[in-house]
Amino acid sequence: MSLKECYISLEGDYEDALSRLRSERLVQKFVLKFLNDGSYDLLCRSLEAKDYSEAFRASHTIKGVCQNLSFTKLYKSSHQLTEALRNGWSEEAGGLVEQVKADYEQTAGAIRDLQKELEG
Amino acid sequence: MKDKTTRFLSVSAVAISIICAVVFSFLAFYMNKQSRATITDVGTIYMTGMNDRISIHFRTTIEQRLSQVEALVKECPPQEDRGERESLIYSAKARGYNHLAVCSETGEFEMIYGDPIYVKDMEPYLKSLRAGEKKIAVGKDAGENDLVLIGIPAEYRMADGSTSISLVAALSVDYIKDILALDENNTLVYSHIIRKDGSFVIRSGEAFRDNYFQRIRGLFAEERNSEAEQYVQELANAMERNENYSSILELGSDRRHIYCAKLPYSEWYLVTIMPYGALNETVGQLNRQWGYMVLGSCSIVMCVLLFVFIRYLKLTRAQLTALDEARKEAIAANKAKSEFLSNMSHDIRTPMNAIVGMTAIASANINNMQQVQNCLKKITLSSRHLLGLINDVLDMSKIESGKMTLNVDQVSLREVMDSIVNIVQPQVKTKNQQFEVIIRDISAENVCCDSVRLNQVLLNLLSNAIKFTPDGGAVKVVLYQEESPRGASFVRNQITVEDNGIGMTEEFRDRIFESFAREDSLRVHKTEGTGLGLAITRYIVDAMEGTIRVESQQGMGTKFYVTLDMEKAEVEEEEMILPEWNMLVVDDDRLLCESAVTSLRSIGVKAEWALDGEDAIKMVERRRQEHRDYQIILMDWKLPGIDGIETSRRIRRKLGDDIPIILISAYDWNEIEEEAREAGISGFICKPLFKSTLFYGLRQHMETLEKGEEENRKEGSGLDGRRVLVAEDNELNWEIASELLSELGLELEWAEDGQICLNMFERSEPGYYDAVLMDLRMPVMNGYEAAVAIRKTERKDRDIPIIAMTADAFTEDRKKCLEAGMNAHMAKPIDVKEVSRLLEKYIKS
Repeated sequence: MSLKECYISLEGDYEDALSRLRSERLVQKFVLKFLNDGSYDLLCRSLEAKDYSEAFRASHTIKGVCQNLSFTKLYKSSHQLTEALRNGWSEEAGGLVEQVKADYEQTAGAIRDLQKELEG
Repeated sequence: MKDKTTRFLSVSAVAISIICAVVFSFLAFYMNKQSRATITDVGTIYMTGMNDRISIHFRTTIEQRLSQVEALVKECPPQEDRGERESLIYSAKARGYNHLAVCSETGEFEMIYGDPIYVKDMEPYLKSLRAGEKKIAVGKDAGENDLVLIGIPAEYRMADGSTSISLVAALSVDYIKDILALDENNTLVYSHIIRKDGSFVIRSGEAFRDNYFQRIRGLFAEERNSEAEQYVQELANAMERNENYSSILELGSDRRHIYCAKLPYSEWYLVTIMPYGALNETVGQLNRQWGYMVLGSCSIVMCVLLFVFIRYLKLTRAQLTALDEARKEAIAANKAKSEFLSNMSHDIRTPMNAIVGMTAIASANINNMQQVQNCLKKITLSSRHLLGLINDVLDMSKIESGKMTLNVDQVSLREVMDSIVNIVQPQVKTKNQQFEVIIRDISAENVCCDSVRLNQVLLNLLSNAIKFTPDGGAVKVVLYQEESPRGASFVRNQITVEDNGIGMTEEFRDRIFESFAREDSLRVHKTEGTGLGLAITRYIVDAMEGTIRVESQQGMGTKFYVTLDMEKAEVEEEEMILPEWNMLVVDDDRLLCESAVTSLRSIGVKAEWALDGEDAIKMVERRRQEHRDYQIILMDWKLPGIDGIETSRRIRRKLGDDIPIILISAYDWNEIEEEAREAGISGFICKPLFKSTLFYGLRQHMETLEKGEEENRKEGSGLDGRRVLVAEDNELNWEIASELLSELGLELEWAEDGQICLNMFERSEPGYYDAVLMDLRMPVMNGYEAAVAIRKTERKDRDIPIIAMTADAFTEDRKKCLEAGMNAHMAKPIDVKEVSRLLEKYIKS
């Protein structure tokens, strides 16, 4: 699986990422690092603890990272979640959390596949 | 039904009128009669009273006279020598008696003074006197004058030596008449005094006969003799029995009430008569008034009744007509549905047959890969068609049951138009049609709307246009915005879809938006579809509170106008600013050129336009001579004369490869891409040209354009070796920033949150850092607080440039950043050019 295919699979905008980060090497480097980013764990933890301001921040961070990496799909859902959490918990946040989780799994899964292939 | 109701109503109207008339007439009649009876009663009471009064008066008068005469007797007691006579004469004269006599046992009068008198009806008078009663009677003197004789028992010696039985004093009859006022003319009533045999004692008024009975007989006409006789008989009988008698004489038009009662001290009867003449007139008037009133109220009631009936009749008729129409409509709708159902069954069967048939062929040739693939392709096509049909039917049933609701959300018109253009591109290509999408005057790209339904409306119209336009025809979509009459937060979207296809007949045009309608002609039969599309479209547009109308002429084409007012979405549109490039827009549509130039100007680009290839080339050449080349050229593909690709080729030949030439097109460019690239096209932008379309489309080329400049700048840029403190809590973001920004020659130091950032800044030598890039959302201390804290330190470099980096791009955030003392605000993702621009701007000093 190439980096481009990875982007297709996680529904991101490879061209956009490449145009900003300039080289495939860099894009790949950062994409792989995405797996180590703790924001998602923080989001899950703070949601469990019902600490919604922290969850908002975590979601905000995820959104920022996705913008930098042009992970369009996860960016959209995390963006919506951020807005839903901006003023504390709101009704639509529940559904959006699920959406973010699903998108994150999709994204992380695609990156893991890429990682495996690179390592293997 | 109608006639029945009418008949029923008119019959009841007549019946009620008749009943009304009868009841009122009866009332009038009854009241008339009743009033007559009442008058009679009143008369009787009055007469009785009158008679009694006269009787009492009579009695008093007579008693007075009787006692006078009695006193006379007492004053002058009988003497043997008849010496009392002198005093008798004296006393009687003094009391006003004209005659005085004594009466013998045999009834002979011996005059004491005055002319001789005699009694008319001697027997009963004598009988009473003999019995020692006081009595009065009527007598006459020698001159035949009527007298009233008052007899009192008295035993005076008479001339012949015998003893008298009574003393008789006489008065003129006129005296009684006057006393009793029997002749009074100022009342209606008059009285007579009669004897038992009907002869008058005292006669008053107009009576001239001697006998009252005669008078009664005379009053009646000849032919009513028997009646008169009956009255006479009744009166005589009553007198015989000494009873009071009351009766009404009906004398033709006149009525008289008579009342008869016996008078005391005599054999006389008092007859009081009251003619009803005057009374009758009053009563008659009352009755007439009654009659008029009754007649009046009767007619008022009848009029009201008639009015109500007529109104009711009209109402009923209207209702019946409405009912009839509704029934007809229902039948028509039902018929349309049945027809539709049979058409539908046919329409569904066709693709279904294809699916079944193709499946069979595929199974039979399972090893023939090519054949199977071919079959699957056809099955896919048929299934899609079938799905489309079923979707339409479902939509329609949803609409008909009123269950269709709109899912209003923020919608980007650009995305809507883009997706529609993408969808119809293949069809347009297959039919080799000219396809044009034009947008202009777009003030709000993001609106609130149900995007799925909006898509459906546009696709329905567009696919109809394509469907009913023969190969090589033209289809054009135009979208423009106006101010909405619904207020400033709304925008009016005008959409027109135009084709030059087969058009439609006038009759069909009038019912085009009805369900289940499809023009029934051979040409149309070849075209697939349920005929529901436009009905659905109309319903959706209605639900969106918009309007849709159509202009069409058979054989000339069709044009649909859709007007929709939509709320502007509240999203803060990302600031879209491009460098101040010089651009050329080439398109054969003047409106599109003007609109594109306006949009470009709003994102900071200076643009000019040309309507065809030759003009474009001339303008490019002129610019070249002036040494101020266009920096980007937007080129339409299909142009009159030489097309866009050929034009590009020629421009390339003159200008070389430096400037990007971008092809703008509503068509699918996949097939021409290679040719275009060869001709020197650098990229493609899909029509319609929204502001954002232009922005994002052009931004990609910014790099190529600015590469040269940037390289120049990098060498001379003031950023080399500058030290920047980056506050960013996320490691990955930090790494990306670090990676990207170090390319600018910056030295970066990382602070993991606002507090650390503040600490690092405070510990550093003044002037050590040249700038701070500040993330806003950080744990411990956020970006705003950190910025405020930095500004509050006592250091002389506390005015260090602080640039916010955030994933949010709201105006509020920007404002908040500036309020917190930061110099600028930058949206993620990190953009090297933007960072360097800002840093250069603020570090300069």
